[in-house]
Amino acid sequence: MSDFDPSRRRLLGLGLAGVGALSAGPLLSACASSAGTGGTPTTGGAITLQSNLTGAAKSGVEKLIADFNKLGKGTASLNTVATEIFRTQLPTYLSSANPPDLYTWYAGSVANAYSEKNLLLDVSEVWQGMGDYPQSLRTLATDATGKQVFVPMNNYWWGFFYRKSNFAKWGVQPPTNWAEFMTLCQTLKAKGIPPIGIGLGDTPWVASAWFDYLNIRINGAPFHRELLAGKQRFDDPKVKAVFTKWREALPYFDPKGKAYPFQEATTALLAGKTGMFLIGTFLADATAKDVVEDLDFFQFPIIDPAVPVAEEAPTDGFFASAKSANPAATKALLAYAASVEAQETYVANSSGIILPAHPKAKAADMPLVAKGKAMLAGAAELTQFFNRDSSDALQPTADTALTRFIDKPDQIDAILAEWQKNAEKVFKG
Amino acid sequence: MTTVISTNSTARRRRSFRPSPLLLTFVLVPFAIESIWVFWPAIQGVFFSFTRWDGLSAPVPVGFDNYVELAGDPVFRGALGNSVLWLVLFGGLSILGGFGMALALQRERRGVGIYRAALFLPVVFSMVVTALVWRVFYQPDGLVDQVLTAVGLEHLIRPWLADPETALYAVIIPALWRQIGYIMVLYLAGLKAVDPAVHEAAKVDGANNWQRLWHVTIPQLKGVNAVILSVIVIDSLRSFDIVWALTRGGPYHSSELLSTYMYSAAFQSLRLGYGSAIAVVIFLLALAVIIGYLVRAFREES
Repeated sequence: MSDFDPSRRRLLGLGLAGVGALSAGPLLSACASSAGTGGTPTTGGAITLQSNLTGAAKSGVEKLIADFNKLGKGTASLNTVATEIFRTQLPTYLSSANPPDLYTWYAGSVANAYSEKNLLLDVSEVWQGMGDYPQSLRTLATDATGKQVFVPMNNYWWGFFYRKSNFAKWGVQPPTNWAEFMTLCQTLKAKGIPPIGIGLGDTPWVASAWFDYLNIRINGAPFHRELLAGKQRFDDPKVKAVFTKWREALPYFDPKGKAYPFQEATTALLAGKTGMFLIGTFLADATAKDVVEDLDFFQFPIIDPAVPVAEEAPTDGFFASAKSANPAATKALLAYAASVEAQETYVANSSGIILPAHPKAKAADMPLVAKGKAMLAGAAELTQFFNRDSSDALQPTADTALTRFIDKPDQIDAILAEWQKNAEKVFKG
Repeated sequence: MTTVISTNSTARRRRSFRPSPLLLTFVLVPFAIESIWVFWPAIQGVFFSFTRWDGLSAPVPVGFDNYVELAGDPVFRGALGNSVLWLVLFGGLSILGGFGMALALQRERRGVGIYRAALFLPVVFSMVVTALVWRVFYQPDGLVDQVLTAVGLEHLIRPWLADPETALYAVIIPALWRQIGYIMVLYLAGLKAVDPAVHEAAKVDGANNWQRLWHVTIPQLKGVNAVILSVIVIDSLRSFDIVWALTRGGPYHSSELLSTYMYSAAFQSLRLGYGSAIAVVIFLLALAVIIGYLVRAFREES
């Protein structure tokens, strides 16, 4: 379900540019104000699941819907929309008079922001049957007023991915702390291999993983959350410390990474043209099976052992519209999606490396998955990702600041001042 | 008799004032459609530009705040500058290139059709396809880098689309690649209308090629030039797809045009009021150019 990520835009380039062309020109509001309803109108018993899932994840959700329809608790149909269109149209779907019932999207601040506007269906009833779920997921699915508005399907993790065969060939070991990480970078660079792969062309949001991780390793997850919620300032010296640390690693970044998207950065990693790559498990989506077996990852190195360890674990799942014409069937589908059976079916049908949200559901039987699961289980706190912990609107401010920093690291102060200014505009609305 | 005539003439006069139902349909139906899809949203856009709106809650009126913010926004100023640069480079070079190509290919020779078709071919591709092809050219170790290496200029190699110094120019080139063919076709049509007898006369009078171009051909292209000028200005202001597909206005706003900034402000930052204010500025710029052109055209006609 990593296809949930809003920013995985490259494959959708064509669709996106189409939307762009339509909305270019002076008649901006034509798009914004008269877009009308986005999905199939709901009538009678049938409910609609508006989904942005593509590829293997789509077949997973198709199977889920087919199995639900066999239960006789209602009929559901799937309506797949390209991610970029889904993302820009979601507010319109939710605020339209006759919206689709269910949506694939993110837990946390994104769902809470919609809930604050009374657009999401209260699914506390569904959660009453979800006693097996850990408190952390329950908290993540709960809005500011204390009701649950989200049902999680799966999550995944981020880490430094590398090929075991390459690390063996180069005679290096995965590091456990920052000093070892720096030594590893130096060793690889001395061998003529760009140590750290990155893909910022077209997918600049990938840089946010570095910011998130450095911030939760240096300042801790609570500060990170407050910063992303607008309760701390980006020009704070604590944020500057993040960039000062990052600067130590900058000379080891692959210089070509600025120009190509993360998909090509993945190809470069697999071909041994870069040493390692900080990325989510979705890198395996388009990777051949035998190569996936050669993949391994290590946890983002610990910088300050005094800071409780937090990891990035983006959680994907469903929320429903408050205006659903058939809330009973909608909740029935959500309850089914939260079951062990449904989640195992989903994981088995979508080939990506993901972890089912239900603690008793089995993930794919692979050492890599077991290792990822153990890493998340061992974390004191979980964060999701920059846009999921803040908002899609704040993400572009991070993209601008971080790509500029990677290009011109000596301008940190000016970059952070500008970031704060742009973030304030977003928080103000 | 007189009464009959007078009633007849009134009846005729009345009839001549009543437009036929067909004519009414042709005028009113498009007007109604335009009102719903163009005029009304345009008016709404102006209204939204005086509000703060996230697309979800009700718009909050903020007076001229958005315009005041625009005046002090360095990204907006950069986008305005880039749009002017785009107009000058994209417009100027496509006129020069298109006219040059049209002159070179106007004479009917064997195989000239192939050259014309080859130059016109990029126009057939959608801008997004053009962008995808050029992205492959520009990628690290792509065609551009290989050519530079082959001619010994590898020190010039840089991440073309990711370097703020080169990003805008790297986007203008594919846009030109397409536009030159289009302008060439317009000039070829214009050159066909040039009276050959005047050329003959000039030749007899001993004018050389350059003089004939300057004093005979170009003055007769006035009509085509006016069309091309308006096409270029409008195409420049609405340029969006190629920039969005190649750089999204990045890296860090260095290739931002007014149109891309409007899109990202409205639909990425979800500041629809601010985005509408940018849209109004684009609208006023386009209006100024078009009115300027229409006024001139009417004046010349009368």
